[in-house]
Amino acid sequence: MPALEVIDLATSFQTDDGTVRAVAGVSFSVDKGRTLGVVGESGSGKSVTFLTLMGLLDPRLSQVSGSVLLHGEEMLGISQSRLRQIRGAKIGMIFQDPMTSLNPVKTIGWQLEEAALLHQDITRKEARRQAVQILKEVEIPFAEQRVRDYPHQFSGGMRQRVMIAMALINNPEILIADEPTTALDVTTQAQILRLMQRLQEEYGMAIIMITHDLGVVAEVANEVIVMYGGRIVEQANVDDLFVKPEMPYTWGLLGSLPRLATPGGRLEQIPGQPPSLLNPPPGCPFNPRCEYVMDICRVKLPDLDLSPAGVDHRFRCHLDPETRDRIWTVKKAGMVREDAA
Amino acid sequence: MTELLVVENLQKHFPVMRGLVFQHEVGSVKAVDGVSFTVNSGETLGVVGESGCGKSTMARCLMRLLQPTGGKVIFDGRDITQLSRSEMRPVRRDMMMVFQDPYASLNPRKRVGAIVGEPLEVHRMGTDNERKRRVQELLEVVGLNPEHYNRFPHEFSGGQRQRIGIARALAVNPKLIICDEPVSALDVSVQAQILNLLKDLQRDFGLTYIFIAHDLNVVRHISERVMVMYLGKAVEIGSREQLYRNPKHPYTGALLSAVPIADPALGRARKQVVLQGDVPSPLNPPVACTFHPRCPRFVDGKCNVDTPPLDPIGGDPTHLSACHFPLEHWPMSEDEMRRIGVAVAAAD
Repeated sequence: MPALEVIDLATSFQTDDGTVRAVAGVSFSVDKGRTLGVVGESGSGKSVTFLTLMGLLDPRLSQVSGSVLLHGEEMLGISQSRLRQIRGAKIGMIFQDPMTSLNPVKTIGWQLEEAALLHQDITRKEARRQAVQILKEVEIPFAEQRVRDYPHQFSGGMRQRVMIAMALINNPEILIADEPTTALDVTTQAQILRLMQRLQEEYGMAIIMITHDLGVVAEVANEVIVMYGGRIVEQANVDDLFVKPEMPYTWGLLGSLPRLATPGGRLEQIPGQPPSLLNPPPGCPFNPRCEYVMDICRVKLPDLDLSPAGVDHRFRCHLDPETRDRIWTVKKAGMVREDAA
Repeated sequence: MTELLVVENLQKHFPVMRGLVFQHEVGSVKAVDGVSFTVNSGETLGVVGESGCGKSTMARCLMRLLQPTGGKVIFDGRDITQLSRSEMRPVRRDMMMVFQDPYASLNPRKRVGAIVGEPLEVHRMGTDNERKRRVQELLEVVGLNPEHYNRFPHEFSGGQRQRIGIARALAVNPKLIICDEPVSALDVSVQAQILNLLKDLQRDFGLTYIFIAHDLNVVRHISERVMVMYLGKAVEIGSREQLYRNPKHPYTGALLSAVPIADPALGRARKQVVLQGDVPSPLNPPVACTFHPRCPRFVDGKCNVDTPPLDPIGGDPTHLSACHFPLEHWPMSEDEMRRIGVAVAAAD
């Protein structure tokens, strides 16, 4: 049984200007010990998807449908008290900005102990022992002393380690990381990514890594979903996605990366802006920016079809397989030429 | 090729004051500490470094938005560090800036026409009608619709706002544009649009750029020459090829190997150097080589005693690096880096 299974999840918000369909028809699953990368630009629905399944959206303002199964247990529509038992204990979450996610007037130790005391029947002394233990796990030097420090006494990278420690103190089965390294410098990012991989090997939790950075995804993910306009547009294991992407939006994303290996030349650019979710285009959400758009794309949303080549490789596109092969071969050749230059 | 900008030993120190009534200086933050480089006319110099390395402070000193503590900024053959406000005015026309945050750098109460036309007004160029025509032309140049003249910034997306910022910088036909993290707030697909636009403008108008970014891929894409900064100092300067294919400073190497590669197979195959610890506080920087506490090649008695000068490496006058034990080859794993450091220590 997968650690987490999401089936046909949809979230919409009622606003003064009309209904915003932030997420629609999203299905995926994650297994223990695996990492799922979720890529998308701002407004693609990647963060809302995970706020929904954590039950963090205000039910008065949002409509949610579909199913979220945590080890077979339905999570949508359950009571707040049950949700509180699950959050922090079975699912841990790390956010982008470690400064605003920590309480500035409580010590790191106090905040870590609180997380442990909430979910385990232990004494404060035992909680303190666990706090020091987990700080050592995330490689914070002098953990015994540093538990008495306040968040402002830590650097950005150290704070993100504390956040990871807090998410892991109850040994959750799933760790959701929403842009965990975006606010960090590149050398610190490398440290944090390496740490997360080591902890995953040790604890065997499933990681869901939400990011806009294809490089981070390539480095840590086993499976990847690409989101656009509130929908999954491509879903594959990481090698298939980078070796043979099937969807024009994914092509555009890969082509627009100024990669270490492609100096000079022009970048491929996706024209236009990401779509408004208030007033989404009919048919395929990508059709207004797609250079291969056909009449059918403006009318009918393509299904999330299985790719003929890869196992479990799904994508939404109306183009026929031969055309897609041809286009990708040409595009790929262009990228390789620049690599060699 | 002519040198448009020569920077010599630029310094910016911020005093740290204590005391309520009798304030006294207890130390100083050396945000920029002796940086020297040149920028040739028509080229792009990329500046990379992590947060707190002084790259933005340096940019502001070059523009005289901050008064440098020491050193010279020779722009177009003239030292501008001691010029008065009125003497600075015509110089400012030749150097413009594009900022990081396209939301904060445009006045929300002004219309696009007024924002882009403001430099023209400040420098009293043209009549009202000429200015309007020029602004509409500029909007078109940066890929916006000239009819957007009367709109407000909030009506635009992030990428479009950055285009407005670029149009404003172009208004007075500057020679040099300093771009401070111009694409880091944008989505990847929009980032590509802006990078292509900057390249096109450089080709069409013969612009010179100083391009500051923390993203090494972006800097590699846009720059001919690159400078790497660490704690207020330049640690390596070279051409794009020299720096990315054959880095000499261990910090440059560590930066390069920390960048995630958007190719799973390549990523798994490569050697990685992961630095320990964080960038130290510039209030109390390490002695001698400021990188020595984090450096895998640290040699006790050398790196923490002698400050390495920024010197040409391997007889190549265009490739400078400030390291006692520059990297012999690249790529290098952490162990290889360390082993050579250990060997040197043993030989001493």
